[in-house]
Amino acid sequence: MTENTFFSNEVISLEKSIDLTSTPVETKLEDLDEVYEINRCSKWIQTNNFQRVCLQFPDHLLPDSSHVALKLQKILKQTLYLLGDTAYESCCIDYIAAAHINADAIIHFGPVCFSKTSANIPHINIYEKKPLNITKLRSDYDEVFEKSMAVVLLVDSIYLHLIDKIVTAFAKIPKLQKYENVTIQRIDEIDDNLKNKDIIFFLGEKYQTLVNIALTFKPKQLNYYDGTVKIFEDASKIIKRRHFIIEKIKDSETIGIIIGTLGVKNYLQILDRIKSLISQSGKKYYLISVGKPTVAKLANFPEMDIYVVVTCAMSEIYESRDFYKPIATPFDVEAALNLDPDKSTNFTLDYNAFLNDAKVVTCSEPTVSLLTNKLRISKPEEHVKINNDTSLAVKDVGTVALNNSGAGYLLQRSWQGLEQNLGQTEAHLAKEGRDGIPLHYKNEENNS
Amino acid sequence: MVNFTVDEIRVMMDKKKNIRNMSVIAHVDHGKSTLTDSLVSKAGIIAGAKAGETRFTDTRKDEQERCITIKSTAISMYFELEDKDLVFITNPDQREKDEKGFLINLIDSPGHVDFSSEVTAALRVTDGALVVVDCVSGVCVQTETVLRQAIAERIKPILFMNKMDRALLELQLDAEELYQTFQRIVENVNVIIATYNDDSGPMGEVRVDPSKGSVGFGSGLHGWAFTLKQFAEMYAEKFKIDVVKLMNRLWGESFFNAKTKKWAKQKDDDNKRSFCMYILDPIYKIFNSVMNYKKEEYEALLPKLGIILKHEDKDKDGKQLLKVIMRTWLPAGEALLQMIAIHLPSPVVAQKYRMEMLYEGPLDDEAALGIKNCDATAPLMMYISKMVPTSDKGRFYAFGRVFSGKVATGMKARIMGPNYTPGKKEDLYEKAIQRTILMMGRYVEAIEDVPSGNICGLVGVDQFLVKTGTISTFKDAHNLKVMKFSVSPVVRVAVEPKNPADLPKLVEGLKRLTKSDPMVQCIIEESGEHIIAGAGELHLEICLKDLEEDHACIPIKKSDPVVSYRETVSEESDQTCLSKSPNKHNRLFMRAQPMPDGLAEDIDEGKVNPRDDFKVRARYLTEKYDYDITEARKIWCFGPDGTGPNILVDCTKGVQYLNEIKDSVVAGFQWATKEGVLSEENLRGVRFNIYDVTLHADAIHRGGGQIIPTTRRCLYACLLTASPRLMEPIYKCEIMCPEVAVGGIYGVLNRRRGHVFEEAQVAGTPMFIVKAYLPVNESFGFTADLRSNTGGQAFPQSVFDHWQILPGNPMEAGTRPYGIVQDTRKRKGLKEGLPDLMQYLDKL
Repeated sequence: MTENTFFSNEVISLEKSIDLTSTPVETKLEDLDEVYEINRCSKWIQTNNFQRVCLQFPDHLLPDSSHVALKLQKILKQTLYLLGDTAYESCCIDYIAAAHINADAIIHFGPVCFSKTSANIPHINIYEKKPLNITKLRSDYDEVFEKSMAVVLLVDSIYLHLIDKIVTAFAKIPKLQKYENVTIQRIDEIDDNLKNKDIIFFLGEKYQTLVNIALTFKPKQLNYYDGTVKIFEDASKIIKRRHFIIEKIKDSETIGIIIGTLGVKNYLQILDRIKSLISQSGKKYYLISVGKPTVAKLANFPEMDIYVVVTCAMSEIYESRDFYKPIATPFDVEAALNLDPDKSTNFTLDYNAFLNDAKVVTCSEPTVSLLTNKLRISKPEEHVKINNDTSLAVKDVGTVALNNSGAGYLLQRSWQGLEQNLGQTEAHLAKEGRDGIPLHYKNEENNS
Repeated sequence: MVNFTVDEIRVMMDKKKNIRNMSVIAHVDHGKSTLTDSLVSKAGIIAGAKAGETRFTDTRKDEQERCITIKSTAISMYFELEDKDLVFITNPDQREKDEKGFLINLIDSPGHVDFSSEVTAALRVTDGALVVVDCVSGVCVQTETVLRQAIAERIKPILFMNKMDRALLELQLDAEELYQTFQRIVENVNVIIATYNDDSGPMGEVRVDPSKGSVGFGSGLHGWAFTLKQFAEMYAEKFKIDVVKLMNRLWGESFFNAKTKKWAKQKDDDNKRSFCMYILDPIYKIFNSVMNYKKEEYEALLPKLGIILKHEDKDKDGKQLLKVIMRTWLPAGEALLQMIAIHLPSPVVAQKYRMEMLYEGPLDDEAALGIKNCDATAPLMMYISKMVPTSDKGRFYAFGRVFSGKVATGMKARIMGPNYTPGKKEDLYEKAIQRTILMMGRYVEAIEDVPSGNICGLVGVDQFLVKTGTISTFKDAHNLKVMKFSVSPVVRVAVEPKNPADLPKLVEGLKRLTKSDPMVQCIIEESGEHIIAGAGELHLEICLKDLEEDHACIPIKKSDPVVSYRETVSEESDQTCLSKSPNKHNRLFMRAQPMPDGLAEDIDEGKVNPRDDFKVRARYLTEKYDYDITEARKIWCFGPDGTGPNILVDCTKGVQYLNEIKDSVVAGFQWATKEGVLSEENLRGVRFNIYDVTLHADAIHRGGGQIIPTTRRCLYACLLTASPRLMEPIYKCEIMCPEVAVGGIYGVLNRRRGHVFEEAQVAGTPMFIVKAYLPVNESFGFTADLRSNTGGQAFPQSVFDHWQILPGNPMEAGTRPYGIVQDTRKRKGLKEGLPDLMQYLDKL
């Protein structure tokens, strides 16, 4: 029995298992300096004379966080704040958490998404560091690629600490004309020049980054390395899935807009854009903020036909098929509801790539849905204007105003709320009810 | 020269007792379109000499090339009947006083089983059916299917024995043999009619009877036909017997002794069957003399029969001459017209008994009465049965039948789709009808308005309907019932544009294709593939061709055809499966078990459905399937889509708050039955029982978010512990061939996992009929394979029949179902491998 009224028994919290996507890392104490670039961090803070500095760690690096903080505190002789359990994606910089202590700088550790950010607190990224057998990489490379091929070797953040070695390993060998056409590119310095290259060879682990490279830069061939050189072919699958999602949005009457970021640039603008697209198409939306979206949280809104998640491009949520209703990207909404033929048709997970205030073209002609083969109206007919006079009006026989979204949906439920059961329940004297919090009530038997 | 004008037709439209709406139905290749030509030529639309070759109602280029009807085609024609024939129409509702003219709205339908949906659409808008049977092959599968459908729609049939020329010229049957063949066909047809029609029902007796004139004989190709009435008229004077009485004597066990001039009921040495003697003998004589070039003989014969040849025809000989003689003597159009006018019901007669089958609403409201009385002054009720492409790409004529009221150019009407329910706005549009038109085979004619009892097309409503719908001016009108098809879209191909930039055109084309065909389904799958589903290979082939050439107008890549599978279970779950909600505070305990044989089909057919009164349904389930009565009363829902062949049964006792989570559990059930655990295919024939539920006492902790995903996990665990199986669709094939080819058929079927369940000789013919079950998945290329293995002598008709468990455990690597599951997962972009029970099952 707990004495706490407002908090759950700590045993429950401690025993509660959490789902980790990647296994926690614990670095040896002697390696900390190097792995977390303690020197670079302290110098950056000192030179800029930051007073309130946050250290943001993703879940799997949390075991190291206290050591890093202690080391830095020792050097800097100032309090540092640790940010963990990031509200949305740990790859984005968590300005909201940082704002709690009015931070003037953030150091971000671990995987990073390079999204343009919405706020302007100075920050640096300290990448994770993973080992890589460069000799083997080079021999694997030689096996797959020919001399003449123009290959862009794109190095992900986890291998950036080895970039010098990689550059040396792939240095031009003029006599053999080997590696002449190889360009080595850091991931944190990419720009549009990378578009439409023949071959991009991605050195990294993150699937989502690979997806984004494929979608954004559309190389003719995209390879990646996980001990052997492989070809990435999922991009067409992802684009194909859009056909379904876009059709589903067109069919939907109620769309749930889920806020999945507060850190990516222009997130308010894209919300406004989505909202205006939806309402101009005669559909209904709900804005939902549930922190990190999970299957259970979103299934609490069964009246939604589809969800649009506004989040950073590195989010894995778009790939998930576990949700009760499908998850769409902001691009899908634009593609489905804006019929302007001039709009961009290149699918991207990064909404900043297409965000604009261009006019919205909607169509009011009914069309056939390719999901149900039924007719759907893109735009509901104008409602009859209600006259403001007080004279009696003839009521249409059997006509009730109902729609299928909102209130209409609730009417379809078999459970309509408390049942009265008048006269069927025996009357009792008042007795003491439950006391405590739902996880475990005080007068509940101790059996769970 | 066309014998009538649109204005004349418009006048006739008001004389509704003189209207006959009819369809021509038959097995493939029995000669519907060819026979229809006879009527079209009688109406003067095509030249008589071309009749039988033009196939006027085959309007599409590919129909002409392949010599197969693909789409049903309507044509309106005006005829006049002679006074002597008019007396045969005795029912006052079958004929306006002093009106000789008749308006015949005819729909020629395809015979190939893949296009059965076109037949269904044709039957809905007509009241009578001309059933054509090839007297050489007899009654075939498709004859039975379409006849059954006709009876179910309360369509009155008349019978025509076609291809008599072949029986005489090729098979060389003697007269008595031919009579026996005819007799057998009449019997077969009447057996089918008797099976599906109740003689004491509202339609009354509908059996066909040669002695009453409702059976015709002849050759559509040669353009001649007769009923007993024609011959009775010829002989009536000679015998001094009344025509009606003589018709009775000319069929059946009725023999005439030429020496004693006496009629008898039995055959003996000196007498001869009257049908052979008076009808077949003269025909045989003509055939013999003409085909054997005995000029004197037939020149002597002709005047006797009252045949006067035109000068230019006298030089002909052989088959050409035979055609001319027969056509002059027994013009097919005349015989058919009489059969149609005398024996098929007028809309006035037919709508009286058809109304209750057609209308969904109360049977005494204005619309119902309007239909019942075929009242042109009542509110408009029109059923749109199909969409006909116009020359304007992407636009369609909405084709249908006015059952009540009048539809006019420019009038405002309510356009109600199949999902419309009175009082709601869903699937309802109020729009003006741009134009009403008359469908004349390959032409259309504008017409001001069309009153009840007629068939016509509408311009300007196609946008507001997908395939079918109801058009009305009555505010409280309910829908006219949607049509039930006898075939299902079980064969699928994925399509994509050759040039990815053409995708929007493909999507637009798919939408048009969906409209233009009563049966096809064009769907985007969850994986994003564009799928076209049709009844069979031929149907898909035509759909793809239409899509490529007419609807999308872009080059298209298509995948190999695939079938969709169903997931089911073969045993009861070996344990009660427990799943906990994400917050661990709610527990569901369930099991899955297979449904008893037949229940899934009962649900498909609507014999057991969610709208039934639960007590009635429970009694049915208890009596037929031995279900426990209290459990059977607590069926929570059907799924997928609220109507599918899986059920969720509440077997709990005294669980608190249970009805509060019902909606969430149902939602989870719909989800899981739509996307099964093995490969996200629909479930079929699975019953889930909820045995116990523990719920958190506080409503916020047992909301949808906790219950919906948990239900799905629990149902998946139930499936995995109940020996999951895959089901595949099975075709019923009927293959007609000569005896020598039967061996070849068996070989082909064996290779394709087919299994023969019946083999019999078609009585009176050298043909054999083999009936077999064949997995749809093995049917691709079946027709071609069969042809090459039987020297082109066997031709199959395959129609989806049932779902069957695919032997083998899909959870065991190396089995056939395992391979299919993996292929499907791959195609759908799911993780390859097998679902893991531990992901769905929790421990206490």
